[in-house]
Amino acid sequence: MTVSPDTQRARAWTWAITAAGLVVWAALPWFLSRGTIDILVFAGLYTIAGLGVSFLLGQCGIVSLAQSGFYGIGAYAAAYGTTALGLPIPVGIIAGMVVSGAIAAAVGIPVLRLSGHFLALATLALAIIAHVLFLELEWLTGGTLGIGGIPRIALFGFTFSTPFRFYYLVWPCAFALILFYTLLLNSRTGIALRAMRDAPAAAAVAGIPITSLKVRIFVLSAAVGSLAGSLFAHYVSFISVDSFAIDRAISFLLIAVLGGVRSIPGTIAGALFVTAAPNYLSRLGDIHPILFAVALIVAVIFLPGGFGGFVSSTWRRLTAGPRPSATGGP
Amino acid sequence: MGSILEVRDVSHRFGGLQVLKGVSFDVAPGSITGLIGPNGAGKSTLFNIISGFLTPSVGDIVFLGQTTTDRGIAARSRAGLQRTFQTPQVFRDLTVRENLVAGCHMRGRTGVLEAFFGLPNVRREMADARRRADEIIERFDLGPWREIPAGELPAGRQRMVELARAVMCEPKLLCLDEPSSGLSTTEVQTLMETLERLNADGMTVLLVSHDMKLMEVTSMVHALCFGEIIASGSLHAMRESPRVREAYLGT
Amino acid sequence: MTLTLLVQSVLAGLTNGFVYGLIGLGIAVVFRGARIINAMQGDLALIGSVVAYLIAVSLGLPMILGFLLGVVAGGVTGFLVDRLMIRPTAKRRGTEDSFLLVTLGGAFAVSATVLLYFGRDSYVLPGIGGNAMVDVFDAAMRVHAIWLIVISTGVVLALRWFYAKTAIGQAMLAASIDPEGALTLGINVGWMRTMTLALGGLVGGLAGVLVAPLINIQYEMGLLLTLKGFAAAILGGLTSPFGAIFGGVILGLVEALAVVTISSGYKDVVAMTLLIAIMIAMPQGLFGRRGRLGG
Ligand SMILES: Nc1ncnc2c1ncn2[C@@H]1O[C@H](COP(=O)(O)OP(=O)(O)OP(=O)(O)O)[C@@H](O)[C@H]1O
Ligand SMILES: [Mg+2]
Repeated sequence: MTVSPDTQRARAWTWAITAAGLVVWAALPWFLSRGTIDILVFAGLYTIAGLGVSFLLGQCGIVSLAQSGFYGIGAYAAAYGTTALGLPIPVGIIAGMVVSGAIAAAVGIPVLRLSGHFLALATLALAIIAHVLFLELEWLTGGTLGIGGIPRIALFGFTFSTPFRFYYLVWPCAFALILFYTLLLNSRTGIALRAMRDAPAAAAVAGIPITSLKVRIFVLSAAVGSLAGSLFAHYVSFISVDSFAIDRAISFLLIAVLGGVRSIPGTIAGALFVTAAPNYLSRLGDIHPILFAVALIVAVIFLPGGFGGFVSSTWRRLTAGPRPSATGGP
Repeated sequence: MGSILEVRDVSHRFGGLQVLKGVSFDVAPGSITGLIGPNGAGKSTLFNIISGFLTPSVGDIVFLGQTTTDRGIAARSRAGLQRTFQTPQVFRDLTVRENLVAGCHMRGRTGVLEAFFGLPNVRREMADARRRADEIIERFDLGPWREIPAGELPAGRQRMVELARAVMCEPKLLCLDEPSSGLSTTEVQTLMETLERLNADGMTVLLVSHDMKLMEVTSMVHALCFGEIIASGSLHAMRESPRVREAYLGT
Repeated sequence: MTLTLLVQSVLAGLTNGFVYGLIGLGIAVVFRGARIINAMQGDLALIGSVVAYLIAVSLGLPMILGFLLGVVAGGVTGFLVDRLMIRPTAKRRGTEDSFLLVTLGGAFAVSATVLLYFGRDSYVLPGIGGNAMVDVFDAAMRVHAIWLIVISTGVVLALRWFYAKTAIGQAMLAASIDPEGALTLGINVGWMRTMTLALGGLVGGLAGVLVAPLINIQYEMGLLLTLKGFAAAILGGLTSPFGAIFGGVILGLVEALAVVTISSGYKDVVAMTLLIAIMIAMPQGLFGRRGRLGG
């Protein structure tokens, strides 16, 4: 197969920009305050959780507000596993992902047959159920008192104890997941997902098992959300039910929408906005939650492709040469 | 072997509207069978019942000797039944080649996790699917549009993409709903040649159309009128049949 | 469990049920007339109750004025929601999801605004008949709760009459069922949607002023109310005013039963599980007939 010079040029540019971005990323913490690095760490955590929501919405058309629940399960699995059961850290993290995935499968099989707003409200209901359970199951979660003393992650004797150090743990995870999701998008499965989004009837005729694929992606998204929650627990070392309320589900959705649901790397932009904006807006006083809500409205109305969609359409305009006409004959 | 598809006494009603009234016919293997009838006769409804989008109120669909009335759409397509739609249903945001790759999704074996981690077998499978898509693209003269989102193509070309996609998984029975509407005369000619070639390669075709020219490729035609089969036979016999003329011309 | 306790919890469930029903009523009105799920319905009630509180308690003006202005505030907000959010979204051919997302955004905006000006405290509005109680089989019921039930029933009957007998009500239905056909009949479809949202707002505001004496007014109350109202509405068929109230009562009674048999902490879990179960068990009954897939 031949690659057109345009495509080649676009690829070269993509690589160059990615490489430059990585250099900036690696150098950044050396020049920033602890507080700013802390924000960037949260942006990394939220990128991970937001990726799951974004992919679900953009590729499967599923609005998921349940991610805060899975984020919570991941956090409590890490906390309870290490503090109460004395399990090694990776076991807690994996247990959280397995439990989240299992719950997502059990709930997803019936719920994902719903469509549109039904589905969105069903996932919101799930988030509420999860939040109440986090509050009520005190033996497991510590209720409002929470769980403290969660150990830091250590690799080869190096402890990720400070924001500076954790930055170099969370972002590689986020980058890896961006890579994985991109691979998934361009695979046969990804094509099938986009196909069923475009024309569900024809996708069914092509033998694409629509519900089962949606359930699988939902399970994947839950596991990824759980991973983010576990990392969060090991980073802050104290968690309480307040971190897993509905507003967290909403910030994850906001990340996806702002970042652009069709753009996987766009999630980073969404997460940076959601974590950094309140910090700067808080100078204006408590008005920032209002501005946040307005941002969601404005983004949905005026920027349906999000930051990512905006960048990629501009990018395509800049790099692509003239296309062969769609109507002309051979 | 008997018939590839048997429609047995199928009736269907939408609320108070009786759309099909005890329709029965067979599709012989290796044939191109036509289904004609005036607007609203129930042809598309019958297609929806055959392909699993609707469950008939009464009656059965037997595909390859097995009753499939209650099986899902995807299950039927895995068994070798493909269809196109009266309004072409391409995957608009996918390129023509991706449309075809999606068309043979059911042949793949790799799962979500393997694709997530980009394992080599996923790449291999994708390369195979691409190669096969490229072959079909050549056969259907879609080469120049390979990398173009299907939604940007004109309607006639979208029909060809839809047909090519249906052929991707080598169905045993191909059901086409008005494949020639929106096509130019030369395009219809190409379509007829394509259908004949597919048929020569062993594919059975069930064809719904108003287009008497296109119907020339058929070896057997059933005429449906107000939900009933009013005549069956060769296209020539149909043209001669007074009942069919009456149904079409209202005289 | 004593009989009194049972009666008491049934009464509580009935009262709550009418609350959910009123929210569901607004959701049903908006869905019927605009095919949009308004995720702000609970927050419209929040607005209604806050306005009523400001006027009747903070300013010390007559109660009835507070009630009226609370309802009007809901209607005005509904109007603004259409003009500021729904209309621009529709213009850009928003999907079903975008309408839900913008109204969700609106819900957060309302809740955040109340948080900003009222803080995290909760408030209670005096009810009709103050705190007077009546005895029902040894169990007590607020006079206000009876008023709530009577007024809700009245509103349902009024809506029925409105849709069945008035020209504007019929035009609103026509505009949502067949927008193109309605246009050819000279019906201003955009304006009908605005009216529908304003009407939904009025119902929301009314729910707010009626609910405020029974539950705490608090910045977070909107979303949960919306969800329970939604459960009530879909239980009743999503477009039927009477159905919404009926669904609300069922939900309220189930919740009440959960409180006495399990624990009050799990009330919302039961309600939300019920919501999901309803959506799964009767998805088609809700929309009437299924959309055409093939052909
Ligand atoms: N989902 C549905 N609900 C109600 N009526 C329907 C539905 N689908 C089709 N019909 C009606 O059933 C009858 C048959 O429709 P169908 O589409 O099967 O006809 P057709 O033979 O394919 O016609 P055409 O040549 O126009 O494609 C028509 O009167 C149509 O209005
Ligand atoms: Mg038809």
